[in-house]
Amino acid sequence: MNSPQRKLSPDQAHRLTLEAEPWLSCDDCFDQIDFFAERVVSGGFIGMPALRAHLIGCSACGEEARSLVQLLAADDGVDPAPSLRRLSDG
Amino acid sequence: MTILDGPELADAHPVSREAISREAISREAISREWPGSGHRTGAHTGAHAAPATSAGPSAPANDEWISLLSSPGPGHAEALAGLHQLLLRAARHQVSVMSAQTAGIGEVRRQELIGQAADEAMVAVLGKLASFEGRSRFTTWAYKFGILHAAVEVRRSLWRNREVALELLPEPAAVGHSPEQLAEAADFSEAVSNAIAVELTAHQRQVVMALVVDEVPIDVLADRLGTNRNALYKTLHDARGRLRRHLQDTGYLDETAKGVIP
Repeated sequence: MNSPQRKLSPDQAHRLTLEAEPWLSCDDCFDQIDFFAERVVSGGFIGMPALRAHLIGCSACGEEARSLVQLLAADDGVDPAPSLRRLSDG
Repeated sequence: MTILDGPELADAHPVSREAISREAISREAISREWPGSGHRTGAHTGAHAAPATSAGPSAPANDEWISLLSSPGPGHAEALAGLHQLLLRAARHQVSVMSAQTAGIGEVRRQELIGQAADEAMVAVLGKLASFEGRSRFTTWAYKFGILHAAVEVRRSLWRNREVALELLPEPAAVGHSPEQLAEAADFSEAVSNAIAVELTAHQRQVVMALVVDEVPIDVLADRLGTNRNALYKTLHDARGRLRRHLQDTGYLDETAKGVIP
């Protein structure tokens, strides 16, 4: 199905060599994402390095985490932008 | 609260297709079981108000949600309806977030996706009530199911009639600034391409090229390959490790480089 010799863009090469450590599975990410998202929106200490690494390495989980953060911010009536920055900045 | 952040928290595969039986409950069954929920039109006759469907100051406590949802009795039907409203809200939000991708599918199909995702999330939430530990608000915990199911539904819908074949997709254009940066980036890209050829197994090559280069959604690829998101991400993670080690050994990658997307 795939040819290994296709030309890669710099961004693709970068994403192919991401170091998403410490390891965390998608299942574990889903299990923890609710209280992680609440921490992000609350503005307090976040921690959880494995989960943060997973969200960088897994685009689907990352997309869903951003969505949850936006929804929580909307429920709280606050601007989601700072929370989304905290999510991506670490 | 203890900071939990590791594989010891493994749940019962919430993102595995096998764990989510679409046939487990029909739209008609939902209409019977949860009158007054979301897109139904049945009259609401219960004497108890449903729990509020947002996480505002008036939202019920977590234990109230669990108590009402767990056993038949006063307020049970209203709690089910309230939960379905929460999941509709989450699914609608997720589809809205992905609106750029769903622009071509039409409003009718979009509403179908929302309803279907909320229904499937309802089954998943009710099946996992016992696993809710109260580490977050119940509403937040429920939202994540609605978001997951809506995102998966949208991705599958968008790729339903698309073939996963690299040959059909255009080659990416290189990006950069100065001639030196362009040359360096091209050099690294070529090194990664070579590392893919010499270091990865055929299965790893198939997975990383589809996920990262052709941007096939992980749930769609899981469907096509008969596996699940968890297994594919593990394959991607292991492949990245192999590529990084090869590139470090050949001097293309600093051992301290994190490789985080800019």
